[in-house]
Amino acid sequence: MEKFDKIIIGAGLYGIYAAHYCGKKGQRILVLECDEAPFKRATYINQARVHMGYHYPRSISTAMKSAGYFDRFNKDYSFCINREFDQIYATSAQYSWSDRNQFKEFCRAAGIPCEELHPERYFKKGMCDGAFLTKEYTYDAHILRDYFLEELKKYPNVQIQYGSMIREIHKTSDSYVVVEEDGREYETPYLLNATYAGTNQILEKVGYETFGIKYELCEIILCDVNDKLRDIGFTVMDGPFFSIMPFGKTGLHSLTAVAFTPHTTSYDALPTFSCQEKSGGFCSTQHLGNCNDCPAKPKTAFPYMANLAQKYMRPEYGFTYKESLFSMKPILMSSEIDDSRPTVVRVCSQKPTFVSVLSGKINTVYDLDEVLEES
Amino acid sequence: MKEKNFISAVVYVHNAENRIEKFLKALICVLEEHFEHSEIICVNDYSGDDSVEKIRQVSQTVENTSISVVNLSYFHGLEIAMNAGVDLSIGDFVLEFDNTVLDYDPEEIMKVYRRALEGYDIVSASANRREKLSSRIFYTVYDKYAINPTNKMRTESFRILSRRVLNRASHMNKTVPYRKAVYSYSGLKADNMVYQPVEGSGTDYKPGKLERRNKVELGMDTLLLFTNVGYRLSMTMSVLMLVLMLAVIIYTFIAYAVSSPVAGWTSSILFLSVAFSGLFIILSIVIKYLQLLLELVFKRQQYSFESIEKLTK
Repeated sequence: MEKFDKIIIGAGLYGIYAAHYCGKKGQRILVLECDEAPFKRATYINQARVHMGYHYPRSISTAMKSAGYFDRFNKDYSFCINREFDQIYATSAQYSWSDRNQFKEFCRAAGIPCEELHPERYFKKGMCDGAFLTKEYTYDAHILRDYFLEELKKYPNVQIQYGSMIREIHKTSDSYVVVEEDGREYETPYLLNATYAGTNQILEKVGYETFGIKYELCEIILCDVNDKLRDIGFTVMDGPFFSIMPFGKTGLHSLTAVAFTPHTTSYDALPTFSCQEKSGGFCSTQHLGNCNDCPAKPKTAFPYMANLAQKYMRPEYGFTYKESLFSMKPILMSSEIDDSRPTVVRVCSQKPTFVSVLSGKINTVYDLDEVLEES
Repeated sequence: MKEKNFISAVVYVHNAENRIEKFLKALICVLEEHFEHSEIICVNDYSGDDSVEKIRQVSQTVENTSISVVNLSYFHGLEIAMNAGVDLSIGDFVLEFDNTVLDYDPEEIMKVYRRALEGYDIVSASANRREKLSSRIFYTVYDKYAINPTNKMRTESFRILSRRVLNRASHMNKTVPYRKAVYSYSGLKADNMVYQPVEGSGTDYKPGKLERRNKVELGMDTLLLFTNVGYRLSMTMSVLMLVLMLAVIIYTFIAYAVSSPVAGWTSSILFLSVAFSGLFIILSIVIKYLQLLLELVFKRQQYSFESIEKLTK
């Protein structure tokens, strides 16, 4: 049985970051990833925002935390950051949980810059009561992935195993033993669960308490845009609205809408969806497949999102459908009211150590540092 | 060939557990058959029965239309509730169903839609039956005294609106107290279609107490806001009273000269009539002021146009 200093489950940003962080210290690390490559799920399939906190006008704690890490992330990974566009946040005149003044007050309190603009410059008359030029960027997951893969080549003590299917996890007196479907076993005193949507599935295998989360099967639409829209990102807040903004450095825009991006929702502890039956064994309650490669992925909601966006944006901003990306998103149930997105680092056991991390934001990855220091 | 236009349907739901299922099924059927993309927004105006549960059940059966429910926190009444639904809708065209009584063939919905495509921004459908007496009186008074009469109004079962009308309605007014009036004031082309009600249907519908009270209040508010019947009535009355008082003053002088009344009579009557005349003059001015204020508040836009034609190059 092979032994490692740390075993990390999941090769998304959090897993790869942890592997790199510990690899630099000379630790022997094994990363287990069920897909054929890293960054194939939530790290790639999201709005690619580097959050400054604007998104959370009802959770100042989330906002301040995002703002705190914003500069650090943009400095450390500047090569994958797209800064070359105006990010416009607007508050909808109807159905918004926050209005123009509340948004301004929130930005002031959180200490994040926002410059007020005239809403009718961008939006149809009467649709938005406030518009703000903000400082928010977007990252390119593929550039970030290539950087990390290149970096990790320097550390032969870090192994990544793709296509890994975990059958079970045992706890012994001073270690965890991970058994794969093909019978291979690995032992470690430190296990990090960085699987995001699969986090409860891993916890369940060890018998630890699961997170109180709901699951949303989400669709991010990539669009070609016209010249008017090319260097602008729009986010209409704070309720059932939409966002259309540059997607990293791809030249495309991502289009999402609060009401239409989630296709179906599961409130069970383990993700249970009706499409799992149709996937032909690709995905199950015990092991989530990659929604983006699934044969049973849903039909696009582009017409709905497009109509919503056109209801708000002035007609000169044009966009056309390019492709859809699907991924599973876990949301903490405790976040329903304040719409916060805390990064949860839960230490389930010590010596041997089992840590689960759950975060929906890229730039709070530094929250891991503290827990990785312990060994 | 399915319609490419995105259509939204906004449905008012208040204690409709007996009708909602049949209604929604028919509506879904029409929308899914004829439109590529559609949505249904049910505005639940604080129903005390199982209406929402029924909507949930029906929504399990849909293929591609999207169904959502806006649950209002307390009873708002038809007008505000429908505004809430319309604000949420994203369609190029929006169907408004003020109630869930299905006394027409669902295909009527498509007739109304096709009529709208012919260039009418507002197309409504009305049943070919005698209106209730109260409705007849209301519409007669309304049509007679409307501040800027455009289309004759009558009881409508449902209507379709273009995005243009909705945009204009939201520019014109901060609040929309009575949609039908605001839509007709938008100055865009409107049409009404009459359908033959399906026999034996729609007769079991009785609005609840809250709904009835709300309707009466709405009728009064509408007459006051959108017609000058209140202004005319009160103005006429105060002018009449003013004339009467002036007559009393003249009569007092005559009586003083001709017969000799009891001491003090002349001065009291004179005082009273002069004071009342003053009061009625003030009242007339106040009414005029109120009328002006009303116009300023509710008619922020000075003009409303149907189209702009460019005739030369």
